[in-house]
Amino acid sequence: MIALYNSKTWKLSSYIIALVLTVPVLVMLVGGISASTQLFSHLWQTVLPTYLENTLLLAFLVVLLALIFGVFSAAIITQTNLIFKKQLRWLLLLPLAMPAYLVAYLYTDLFDYAGPVQRSLRSWFGWQAPSDYWFFDIRTLPGAALMLALVLFPYIYMLTRGAFEQQDQNLIRASRLLGLTAKQSFFKVALPLARPAIAVAASLVLMETLADFATVQYFAVNTLTTAIYDTWLGYGDLGAANALASVLMLLVLFVVLAEQRSRAGLRHQSARPNLSRELIQLSFSQQIIGSIFCWALVIFGFLLPLTLLIVMAVQYSDVAQLSVLMSTGVNSLKISVIAATVAVLIALSLGLYQRLHSDKYRQFPLQISGFGYAIPGTVLAMAMLSTLGPLDHWLNDIVEFLGFAPPGLILSGSLFAIIFALVVRFSAIANGTIISGIKQIPQSLDYAPASLGVNLTGSLTKVHLPILMPAILVAWLLVFVEAMKELPAVLLLRPFNFETLSSQIYQLISDEMLEQGALGAILIVLFGLLPIVLLNKSKEKV
Amino acid sequence: MTALLTIQKLSITLQDNVVLSELDLSLNKGEILGLVGASGCGKTTLLNAIAGFSKPSHGKIVIDKLILSDNNSCVPAENRQVGMIFQDYALFPHLTVQENIAFGISKLSKAEQKKQIDDLLTILKLEEYSDSYIHQLSGGQQQRVAIARALAPKPKLLLLDEPFSNIDARLRNELMVEIRQLLKQFDMTAIFVTHNKDEVFTFADKMAVMAQGKLLQFDAPSVICQQPNSYQVADFLQLGSWLPCQLDATGAQSLLGRLDVDIRSIEQKNFAYLLVKPAQLLLDPEVAENHKANAQVDYISVTEQGYHYYLSSLESEVTAQALSFNKLSLYSDRVLSLKQQVSVSIKAHDFLFFQK
Repeated sequence: MIALYNSKTWKLSSYIIALVLTVPVLVMLVGGISASTQLFSHLWQTVLPTYLENTLLLAFLVVLLALIFGVFSAAIITQTNLIFKKQLRWLLLLPLAMPAYLVAYLYTDLFDYAGPVQRSLRSWFGWQAPSDYWFFDIRTLPGAALMLALVLFPYIYMLTRGAFEQQDQNLIRASRLLGLTAKQSFFKVALPLARPAIAVAASLVLMETLADFATVQYFAVNTLTTAIYDTWLGYGDLGAANALASVLMLLVLFVVLAEQRSRAGLRHQSARPNLSRELIQLSFSQQIIGSIFCWALVIFGFLLPLTLLIVMAVQYSDVAQLSVLMSTGVNSLKISVIAATVAVLIALSLGLYQRLHSDKYRQFPLQISGFGYAIPGTVLAMAMLSTLGPLDHWLNDIVEFLGFAPPGLILSGSLFAIIFALVVRFSAIANGTIISGIKQIPQSLDYAPASLGVNLTGSLTKVHLPILMPAILVAWLLVFVEAMKELPAVLLLRPFNFETLSSQIYQLISDEMLEQGALGAILIVLFGLLPIVLLNKSKEKV
Repeated sequence: MTALLTIQKLSITLQDNVVLSELDLSLNKGEILGLVGASGCGKTTLLNAIAGFSKPSHGKIVIDKLILSDNNSCVPAENRQVGMIFQDYALFPHLTVQENIAFGISKLSKAEQKKQIDDLLTILKLEEYSDSYIHQLSGGQQQRVAIARALAPKPKLLLLDEPFSNIDARLRNELMVEIRQLLKQFDMTAIFVTHNKDEVFTFADKMAVMAQGKLLQFDAPSVICQQPNSYQVADFLQLGSWLPCQLDATGAQSLLGRLDVDIRSIEQKNFAYLLVKPAQLLLDPEVAENHKANAQVDYISVTEQGYHYYLSSLESEVTAQALSFNKLSLYSDRVLSLKQQVSVSIKAHDFLFFQK
């Protein structure tokens, strides 16, 4: 059947939305790539090699650690009879709610020379000075990698677990009938089959690592993200910051391409996942090792940091803190609510356009509007600045020419820039959720209203939107939470004196005073739990 | 009687594929038309074109003197007064039975809506389900809701896309009779699509056989059954099996003997296939001197009407290879064994010859 509607306004607006979402990054890339070779050779001779090296080493270590954490835990949970695995199954997802920079700060506090752990060790063993003993230094590149891996491994855990659970159990049964033990068939059949999913998950971790700003900044590890931030806010050098952002963007593009390639392999996963599986029976010592491994991940990735935050909040909270929390909270709410609403409206408009419009290339606006998910917040912020800045000047010139007072930086210096950046960055999340909702509507429901004499407006308001309501809510919530948590884009783009929950906590962390923001930090973690609960629920349903 | 639906020279091209070509069709008020054809023959596309979901490349569709679609204009689906019952019923999952039925009549006053809904609920025996949601209903009940919803806006024409494909085979016949009576009660003109000829024979007043975007034959089912107009039609509808024949001035020669045919009645070709219906193939008594074996049993199956055998010609036959046959259907109560050689003959009747 052909699609039903051919409204020209709808078509035009869809293409304009998609274009607007894409343009800033294109402007930045063009600006970065066409930056003077002098600038690049200067950067190359000075700081760029170190930044690149650090970035790549960090990425390598995080992915390696996250793979160890994620694949092993997924294998243990799905393939063995570990005790408490029902609880661990969802507990292992929780670290995803913990921002890495919070974990980094809390563990530095805990394991530093002046922290409680080393203090008690010294008092027990009578050590006097740092030279008396060796203790690991957490504020290093490997330390940062560990912090990031501790909160990012659930991506790998989640997708790998999903892959194992979705596997056609007849394949496993066939391998057993051909003489393999349960363990052998795991290594020879189940694990190789899960490879595409693991690759996709690893590239997600890689993207998150490349986008991380606050952890490495706090640990003073110079990576491309911190370099962009310092170059712009420290030296005010937009050109160099743009160039660095372009380098990072190219790295990310490379990862995205790799991810797309591994996604192609996912199609082989198939039906019949519900047949009962035979579990590997663990011996007593294996039970203990397995339990320690999984519980350590849950404790160090989530329970311990949350407890530390709660202790801090109980000890240090006061009325003054609450009022700061209120005002920053309101700011966070404001931008997150607007960003989530705009992102969902765009996703609905483009998603329904793809479904119902007769345009031959109707999937195009949706496709290109979702590309921003891979772009690190710092890069996106640079893109906004390099696009909206000139636009502002141009607007001011026009207004002044017309004889009015120039309005100032109404685009780049206002909430507009932040919200724009958040929408670009998180549109993909809204798109994905809305599209999967739309896909569940049988095609015949698109046609039924017309066969009953009801037009497009009636069809949308009486059929599509009501049916999509759950998907709309979930999409809104997911974007809302991500926007609440987003840090680097907000830090770089916020107007003067405008603090959000996350920027406030970042400031306090930089000043080693998180105690004063512990309540806000707990709030961010709790918000972060929402999508995990949602995701877990929808997974259970399937 | 003037035609309610007229289709003239309708052609549809989708992505450079000709899906329908130069199709002509007309249907009187109150008639039920069954569209049959193999999958991909264009029957669903034709339905979509009438409903307004597929845009014709050229040609004309007229309902009740109103031009729905011609080379210049195309009335949008929602303004056509054509109702449709979808293969999966397409009932709205977020609405109750009542609300589903009310969907197309929201412009009427509340009182009128209620009366019409109540009438339909009664006729379709759905009264007790008026506040149920769709997922609470059985397949047959869902189909009745779909019918009620489609009838509520009083469409001029009702389209049904494979309406019985989701129904349990045992209930299908009963349901078809019931729905046919219902449509007749409303004097509803309807077109339904199926790939099952038996549904057409039970349900329709007119039958259209389609293949590769063309209309092969359009007539009453009984006429098509007795007088198929081409090899394709007879073969698709499985009206019988095929016996190759050599035609000459005085009759036709086959491996089952010579047939006396009035040669003027058929086209002057020297080679053709005779359509052999089950009742026209006779098994000769076993022991008879003038009955030499002329076929052998290839395959045996049991049916409620006795044994069904597939016969093929004997290999040792000296006659031309072109006349050899296989898969000739024979129904008989006699027990034959595999590879057994038998003698069969064709009963004299109005022989139907076709070129492939």
